[in-house]
Amino acid sequence: MLNIKPIVSSLLRSKSGPILLLMQIILSVAIVANASFIINERLTMMQRDSGIAEQEILTFAIYNFDPSIDATLQNKVDQRILRSLPNVKAAASTNMLPLSGSGWSTTLNLGPDPETAKSTPQVAMYMGTEHTLETFGVTLVEGRNFYADEITDDVNSPNILLLITKALADEVWPNESAVGKTLWAGRDVQVTVIGVVDKMQGAWVDSSDLEYSIIQNVDYSGNSYMVRAEPKHHEALQQQILDALMTENPNRVIDNFQSIAVVKENSYRDHELMVTVLSMMVVLLLLITSLGLTGMVMFNIQRRTKQIGTRRALGATKGDILSLFLTENYIICIVGGLIGGVLAVLLGQQLMQHYDLPQLNLIYPVLTVVGMLLVTTVAVILPARKAANISPAMATRSV
Amino acid sequence: MLTMKNINKVFKTDLVETHALRDFNLSVQEGEFVAVTGPSGSGKTTFLNIAGLLEGFTHGDYFLDGVNISNLNDNKAAAIRNEKIGFIFQGFNLIPDLNLAENVEVPLRYRGFSAKERQRRVKEALEKVGLGARMKHLPSQLSGGQQQRVAIARALAGEPRFLLADEPTGNLDSLMARQVMELLEAINKAGTTIIMVTHDPELARRAQRNIQIVDGQVCDFTLYQGGQNHQVDTMEQAAS
Repeated sequence: MLNIKPIVSSLLRSKSGPILLLMQIILSVAIVANASFIINERLTMMQRDSGIAEQEILTFAIYNFDPSIDATLQNKVDQRILRSLPNVKAAASTNMLPLSGSGWSTTLNLGPDPETAKSTPQVAMYMGTEHTLETFGVTLVEGRNFYADEITDDVNSPNILLLITKALADEVWPNESAVGKTLWAGRDVQVTVIGVVDKMQGAWVDSSDLEYSIIQNVDYSGNSYMVRAEPKHHEALQQQILDALMTENPNRVIDNFQSIAVVKENSYRDHELMVTVLSMMVVLLLLITSLGLTGMVMFNIQRRTKQIGTRRALGATKGDILSLFLTENYIICIVGGLIGGVLAVLLGQQLMQHYDLPQLNLIYPVLTVVGMLLVTTVAVILPARKAANISPAMATRSV
Repeated sequence: MLTMKNINKVFKTDLVETHALRDFNLSVQEGEFVAVTGPSGSGKTTFLNIAGLLEGFTHGDYFLDGVNISNLNDNKAAAIRNEKIGFIFQGFNLIPDLNLAENVEVPLRYRGFSAKERQRRVKEALEKVGLGARMKHLPSQLSGGQQQRVAIARALAGEPRFLLADEPTGNLDSLMARQVMELLEAINKAGTTIIMVTHDPELARRAQRNIQIVDGQVCDFTLYQGGQNHQVDTMEQAAS
């Protein structure tokens, strides 16, 4: 039986304990709501699909120190060797590693005059060959891949063709096909879009332009290579790559083998740390709140043993006593939750201003209050059951 | 109205068994004012707890209004306490955080009365004990005697079949004790059965019947009639 009015009167008259608990709940709701929001935002960010076969791509670097080597030629030989290794699905050199935090980016214009033409967003600029799409494991959704005879070794070639991501295509040419469209890099250099890939993220995971990428038809002779194979073959492949490439040319250093999955993990390390720290804080706060509730109920039971016995003598059932303690604490929790919810929104606004966070979704304070009600139930139910078992004969004892 | 037959209450530990009540027999008629006396440890409080269904007993039968209520479950015992028994405790046992009206209302809420009915009964009960004007006061704002009158109002509000009073004047000075006793006598004259446990022989003499408990058994009945008393040896004699 709920007796809310006398319980509220009673709480208002015995202020100190309930007020301390109320403050604890207000702060917990405000902090837990915002922390949960940030955790979820970070997790969502970390779980974004890069569009790339992260687990399958093994990357490594080749450092040539011999100035007499023809880097362009060596690059082509090395790629051929890599593609000939057992279990290799595809291989390509690259000017930048996806999700690595460093690479090339540019802005292209929709017209020849950079002063008047609309610009594309900042795009990650990959360079690759007809093998690059397969090596990345991305899907072509419109147009075509590069042909072998379209690949150039010159980054400044006037015949640049582009594969672009669908996100970029939709941003620049909404509701129309991007294939065949022209973009300008400055007044003189025109580039033509020949294909659109479903998804391929750039290098900077914190950038709002992460989904905007292009691949140019340039076989770049840098030092980064990617080999795509099933992850179970990576360990053996690593040795095979070393053996094959060192046999071809022993005067170089080959190292830094890692999968794109590891590269990605490193890029998201700060976010992961934040998720861990905030999760621990949420758990700790909920634990402290639940201990506070349990402590308060146990203290109240001890203080009110005779009162509980009297209530039982006057006709309260065990269920009535259980309900008395639950109701008392639900009232504190709901009042604290409402004030904490408002505080959470205000705190969220401050975080939004100072830390470039999106606005707190109101579902978080609501869910936090629901969670706090569950915590209250768990924290109160055991001591309240103990209270319910107090004998009505306690009313006649001198305690 | 109330009959106890061969009630035994045994407290057991690993080493000893203590008989708090031993073949305890008692019958109380409608409208009686019975005082229960006895030395400390004689079983008075155990009797009161059993009579008030505050605790169970080991053997025997307890009839209330002809119904055997010896083996009730917890919820049924709570319902009978709430509906048929009014309690008055030595320490008043008011809830300090609730005002007088809320205190008197406590058992009525457990009975499930409507707000309107509760309000009527609270007002009537507090007016009956002379505290109708102080409904919003807290117990701490009252004297001991007034607090006990609130406890009496709380016991009366549910219109019980009988009142069980545990040393109702034990915490009061003589003037207040007299006022409370006069109130209990008035309530009894109005038709309510009262069973009062007391140490005070003076108070016991004001009841219609005095039962003395020694070593967990009724050892003596005394009937007070018009200032003269008659001692009887057995329950049958007392009841006849």
